[in-house]
Amino acid sequence: MRATARASLIAMLLAGLVLAGCGGDDDGASGDRSINVAIVDNPQMNDIADLTPELFTKRTGIKVNYTVLDEGTLRQVTTRDVAAGGQQFDVVMIGPFEAPQFGRDGQLTDLNRFASSDQSYQLDDIIPSVRNALSYDGKMYAAPFYAESSFLMYRKDVLDKAGITMPQQPTWDQVADIARTVDSPDMAGICLRGKPGWGDLGASFTTVLNTFGGTWWSANSDGSVGEAMVDQPEFREALQFYVDLVKDAGEKDAASSSFNECLTQYKDGQVAMWYDATVAAGLLEADDSAVKGKNGYAPAPVKETDASGWLWSWALALPVTSSKADLGWEYISFATGPRYLKQAGERIPGGWAAIPPGTRESTYEIPEYKEAAAAFAEPTLASIAAAPIDNPGTTQRPGVPGVQYVGIPEFQDVGNQCTEQFSAVIAGRSSVDSALENCQNVASQVGG
Amino acid sequence: MPRRAGRELRLSDSWRRRLPLLPALLFLILLTQVPFALSVYYSLTDWTVVPPGPREFVGLDNYRELLRDDFFRDAIVTSIQLTVFPVVAALVLGTAFALLLDRKFFGRGVVRTMLITPFLLVPVVIGLVWKNQMFHGLYGVINWVIEKLGGAPVEFVSEHPTLSIIITLIWQWTPFMMLIILAGLQSQPSDVLEAAKVDGAGPFAIFRQLTLGHLRPYMELGVLLGAIYLIQVYDQIAVITGGGPGSTNVPYYVFQRSIGGGWQFGLASAYSIVVVIASIVIATFALRVLSRLLKGEAAA
Repeated sequence: MRATARASLIAMLLAGLVLAGCGGDDDGASGDRSINVAIVDNPQMNDIADLTPELFTKRTGIKVNYTVLDEGTLRQVTTRDVAAGGQQFDVVMIGPFEAPQFGRDGQLTDLNRFASSDQSYQLDDIIPSVRNALSYDGKMYAAPFYAESSFLMYRKDVLDKAGITMPQQPTWDQVADIARTVDSPDMAGICLRGKPGWGDLGASFTTVLNTFGGTWWSANSDGSVGEAMVDQPEFREALQFYVDLVKDAGEKDAASSSFNECLTQYKDGQVAMWYDATVAAGLLEADDSAVKGKNGYAPAPVKETDASGWLWSWALALPVTSSKADLGWEYISFATGPRYLKQAGERIPGGWAAIPPGTRESTYEIPEYKEAAAAFAEPTLASIAAAPIDNPGTTQRPGVPGVQYVGIPEFQDVGNQCTEQFSAVIAGRSSVDSALENCQNVASQVGG
Repeated sequence: MPRRAGRELRLSDSWRRRLPLLPALLFLILLTQVPFALSVYYSLTDWTVVPPGPREFVGLDNYRELLRDDFFRDAIVTSIQLTVFPVVAALVLGTAFALLLDRKFFGRGVVRTMLITPFLLVPVVIGLVWKNQMFHGLYGVINWVIEKLGGAPVEFVSEHPTLSIIITLIWQWTPFMMLIILAGLQSQPSDVLEAAKVDGAGPFAIFRQLTLGHLRPYMELGVLLGAIYLIQVYDQIAVITGGGPGSTNVPYYVFQRSIGGGWQFGLASAYSIVVVIASIVIATFALRVLSRLLKGEAAA
């Protein structure tokens, strides 16, 4: 019996050791030259993850531990890590929605300090609209690795056959006419996002809303959130237009389609036009694409404003909680600097056309890139430069600048809930009236 | 040390037997009860991560908010639909398959394995397969069949989100019910069945008057265990519809209110407490049925 008692005592001690072991996980990590980096799962990021040991670790001796996450999970993890004060990552990948907000709240390290003393980085080479979108109060809080806008992609052959020429700067009314004209049982007129989510349907729809003169909220003079504007006529007009267009001439299964679904249908010859991210062009013109060389690109359609394309960037930031800011910057300087772009073009499987686009003006001067991306490089650069980040609509916006979103934290939540309502309208399960009413209720709970 | 050992020797026999379990119990409490207690506490605060603000104690405000929330009410209705319909349909189908499998035929082992497979798949995979290969308007098998038969294609996921998810859940959970019912069928004493046959009862009468009664506790167990799992379905919803009216159930709503974009951890905690309470109520019934089953078997 005595033996059993002793054995159980030992078992308890062992359990204690195991628990202590769990807590002391990162004791050995301090002092060494390795950093933890959270990145989004896209082809460009996977390329750099593959090339890091050869191009970065060998030169600097800094080991980079990547955590690759899909967009939604990345946003959850980084927000938890940065905003809620976790200390898991030394470098996180965020976008223009997060960077100015986190920066304003003092959760990110100002990168200007590092960048201006780093000669090889060429801070001024970064495309101004992108840099601006990632800054708050003149301080850049995230360095762009990749940037995109939105534009209209269309099948030149299909439009030619119908005797239609795409205007230089199409309006939404013109695009809707073209979509309805070329729409046939075998090929939809246009692919527009209909899947719920502030970054899915929310992004496409908000650019339409902006140029129709509507807005989610009015802004007070100090930039804070005023009244919810979902019940205004401009909002209704934009939603009605979007829903009607998708219902009349949109893709199949519109209410569950977003970027990937539209990409598949466009490449399959199931749709004649597609309004979405500029990055899609690189995929449509890839060697394995069935529609390569058949496409035209036009700026994002407008109505009341001069430009309506969105602006998004995947960018690297240093949380203030990281104790390895210097190592972190060395990595950011490598990943977002001009040298990587040239090194990547020769090494990545997709070739020059697949290097991270949209961040630096010098990218568009590389001869190999200009040749490989001839079909879409110019429209992409023009769209990014023209993205109306500071003044997306006809009225002032609350929060930090943004085109396809409103730069306040609550927009994620409101955008998600409202796009669920809008998506149900597209699916024919709800009406514009009831969706607007529900959405106005949700939006009214913010600010005011 | 000697003093301590002496005290332990004086412990009663039953406690000495329980002592080795303590580390495991402690570990379990640390892993399950501490987080639960924390979420009860969070549910009484207004903790919001984005935008960051002070975490203040607000009493039962979150629970009052929860009663006013139309979306939460919709989510409860959806939760009930996504639990009741799949459980009942899976039970009926599972019983039918179990009755078929209870006979001896060539290749029974292979057929049984194949019938169990849906339950062994990862829920996310089930969701993706059904969404893209079965329901899809362009590439889905179901619509291909409908078109071959001359019908118009149906956009299942967009137009009937609740039904779409229910169908995948039935597909996933029928094998589970089948296994439980099969175990019940095989524990049925054969002498009683033979006696019934001798007395001239037909197969239908035997099923209704003897088998069904014998299966009742097994069915109850299947329904309750199924309900406990189905009330917290998340994966299929995330993959197939990504939420929305008719497919956001309470757990998915909790996700949306917290790390899914709402970032209101206090409020989301209150929602999740409600789910936990509902699960505990069902689980209590399940355990009662289970203990009755075990007692019955011990007596037999």
